[in-house]
Amino acid sequence: MAHAHAVKRYSGLMDWLTTVDHKKIGILYLISGGFFFLIGGLEAILIRIQLWKPMNDFVSPDTYNELLTMHGTTMIFLAAMPIIFALMNAIVPLQIGARDVAFPFLNSLGFWTFFFGGVLLNISWFTSTGAPAAGWTSYVPLASPMYSEGQGVDFYVIGLQISGLGTLVGGINFLVTIINMRAPGMSFMRMPMFTWTAFITSALILFAFPALTVGLVALMFDRLFDGNFFDPSSGGNVVLWEHIFWIFGHPEVYILILPAFGIISEIVSTFSRKRLFGYSSMVFATVLIGFLGFMVWAHHMFTTGLGPVANSLFSIATMLIAVPTGIKIFNWLFTLWGGSITFTSANLFAIGFIPTFVMGGVTGVMLAAAPADFQYHDSYFVVAHFHYVIVGGLVLGLFAGLHYWWPKMFGRMLNEGLAKLTFWTFYIGFHLTFFVQHFLGLIGMPRRVYTYLDGQGFNGMNLVSTVGAILMGIGTIVFLINVAVTAAKPKNAPADPWVDGRTLEWSIPSPAPEYNFAQTPLVRGYDALWKEKMDGNKGMTPAEPLGPIHMPSPSILPFFMSLGLFIMGFGLMYHQWIFTGIGAALTFGCMFLRSVYDDHGFHIDPDELKDKGVKA
Amino acid sequence: MSELSHVDGQLPHEPEKATLEGRNKVLGFWLFLGGEVVLFGTLFSVYLALRDQILDGPTPQELFSLPLVAIATLILLTSSLTSVFAIQAMHRNNRTALINWLIVTVILGFGFLGLEIYEFMHYAHMGHEFSTSAFSTSFYTLVGFHGAHVAFGVLWISLLIAQLFKKGLTVVTAPKVYVAGLYWHFVDVVWVFIFSVVYLMGKVG
Amino acid sequence: MADNHATASEPKRRHRVEGPKKHIISFIFSIVLTAIAFALVMSGEMNTMFIYIMLIAMAVGQVFIQMAFWMHMKDRGHMYSIIGIISGVFVVFTMVIMALYWVWW
Repeated sequence: MAHAHAVKRYSGLMDWLTTVDHKKIGILYLISGGFFFLIGGLEAILIRIQLWKPMNDFVSPDTYNELLTMHGTTMIFLAAMPIIFALMNAIVPLQIGARDVAFPFLNSLGFWTFFFGGVLLNISWFTSTGAPAAGWTSYVPLASPMYSEGQGVDFYVIGLQISGLGTLVGGINFLVTIINMRAPGMSFMRMPMFTWTAFITSALILFAFPALTVGLVALMFDRLFDGNFFDPSSGGNVVLWEHIFWIFGHPEVYILILPAFGIISEIVSTFSRKRLFGYSSMVFATVLIGFLGFMVWAHHMFTTGLGPVANSLFSIATMLIAVPTGIKIFNWLFTLWGGSITFTSANLFAIGFIPTFVMGGVTGVMLAAAPADFQYHDSYFVVAHFHYVIVGGLVLGLFAGLHYWWPKMFGRMLNEGLAKLTFWTFYIGFHLTFFVQHFLGLIGMPRRVYTYLDGQGFNGMNLVSTVGAILMGIGTIVFLINVAVTAAKPKNAPADPWVDGRTLEWSIPSPAPEYNFAQTPLVRGYDALWKEKMDGNKGMTPAEPLGPIHMPSPSILPFFMSLGLFIMGFGLMYHQWIFTGIGAALTFGCMFLRSVYDDHGFHIDPDELKDKGVKA
Repeated sequence: MSELSHVDGQLPHEPEKATLEGRNKVLGFWLFLGGEVVLFGTLFSVYLALRDQILDGPTPQELFSLPLVAIATLILLTSSLTSVFAIQAMHRNNRTALINWLIVTVILGFGFLGLEIYEFMHYAHMGHEFSTSAFSTSFYTLVGFHGAHVAFGVLWISLLIAQLFKKGLTVVTAPKVYVAGLYWHFVDVVWVFIFSVVYLMGKVG
Repeated sequence: MADNHATASEPKRRHRVEGPKKHIISFIFSIVLTAIAFALVMSGEMNTMFIYIMLIAMAVGQVFIQMAFWMHMKDRGHMYSIIGIISGVFVVFTMVIMALYWVWW
């Protein structure tokens, strides 16, 4: 270790607080995202209990509003996004043959800002004025200081602002990682589909989140500093908020669903033992969806009164998105066609995804027809539609990905029997919950209302929906039991546990060592590992001799930077300028330290690699 | 990795791109600027949507004084030029010239900030406060965001000057300076749109 | 990593120092465009719409020069920078249309 700098290696809790290893950050994202998923799921079940019979008084109307606001906000920003980031962190660098991400330090900063933002938002439950209750879209004037007194919406604004910063940082990190860190031979058109979707998702994050940042700043100024952005009596405009929110919000929908498309592509191809059908058209469709995603935001606002010309344009643009999405559906079906399909739990989730997502897409096109939308708007039909794409699309995709990559992340195989039980309970529960909601909406049940009267024909279907929600809860619990059971077993997953692994992550041990690749692999084609298998090679050809590997040093600074933002957020909300100052000083102080002290990192010697049993 | 580039004891021509870390930093910063374009674009859109909602406050014609804006523009434009000279000095591996040009840039940045603070105080005095109207709120938010970017840039470049004194020009400090230069140009580019869209168009009516 | 070896061995090859000339020309261009914009507004005689269009044209022209020369976007190896900035501009373009046409409907 001639030129290695002495770097302190932490263990235990300090290791997790200071880690800059993308695989560990992936696990941190998974744990905290999973935790928020459970909170959001609990809120959902409470909503469904309230609605199981007419005129129920299980929760008060105010609590119901808080529950539905926090359910939506938590699930989108604090559960779905982080679990997507968990898989991106754990898998994307491995799929492109990189030793690390481009910005390990920023990666850790992204996680901690998300985490503290989420914690801040959820602390609102324990305040005297309660959680935000203006819906996850936080429309003004409902969210304005006049109609939302108390601190609830302030928690929404500042919590999302802080966690949004983390997401933006994470997006930039993945863009640069995928552009600059690919292994030799890994050209863009050889990248696995999941990496492609991660790339486009990151680009959407980069261009959509700044709009949310501005929207939240404006709402914060209105609420905390007497601004007039959204106050009509002072010349402000309430429709402006809707525009800004959906200019961010619609790309956000694609930010969520594209990675699920990528996961499904990987799994369907692996378990059909076939090359993904129409790879280049898949890439094209992904890029096109990302592009069109920015031009359709006003389809959330057809009933605002934008006029027939605008409504028609946005209607057509929205329907256009069905074309690339249809390309993807057909490609998955043609990949399955004639393949030797294995129905592992991961593949069950993936195959279950396809028809479910098609149903969500079809109702999407129905909603895209502006005149019809005037009927569907703000009814349970909309609720059914977006749960079909987000739960039936994204969550099934995430479950599929977790079951597929679990051995690569943790070195242990999930129990297949329990996993299949998870699939069936969750899948049946899902359709029970949301299928009937289409009809509830069509016969006139409005969304976001805490109860309904007897004798309107809503009773039976609401009961079915509640039973389904409980079944989904059971499915989630079975998954948690599976995780617990698996954690007790020895770490013995082989490098390629599904035997038919096609991409680079299956060429290295499970779980991946901290340097990922002892020698950077040479990529000779699409489905790099599969190509070597077909050519009769045992593994990847290395692109470089064995040498010392440079690693970044762990750092506690990201944790404190985010803690500073957290303290600053509270200071702003309660006008405690001392706390604001302390928080800002902490954040900027950590930035100062990061800039002044160079991170030399450390080296892992080739001898050390051999000790750890790297096979040549 | 810094060791590798110092093998021959001399800095490469473009030291900011000599290491993978440097190239990552430059690319990542460019993408960040792409995001900043959307950030300022949203602020401009909000301003454009609300600029006619003046209520009882003073109108843009009464408020804006073009000579003041012209001076601020000249200062910021010149500082952008001096930061170009700084990067050129860096490419010539001339640390003294680099530091001097950066110092000039920082001084001009402070000059711009001083003018802006004076301007805001003057406006507030004329009854154009943050809460006066939707126009005033969106004006202060847009121009204030830009001012905050200038303030951050001034502090950042000052910190880099201190580091250049202490650590010298290396493949670690060079990407930082290069990226700060990009940032400074971007702040200037945003100002070009601010003086055109906010001040000049406001004066026209 | 692998490519560091390559760059470390070629510091001399492209060592042509560019002069300040074209940057000063860019600066003069920027000043002239700024001056025209200010002059147009101060003259105060012309049609408002015409002045608006001219102001935007002057600003875009000036920004284009500054980004190409001062931020080196015209140089090689800036493909991703250009894609990044253009994508941002595209999003902004839709937003400005939103602000101008749809907010007050």
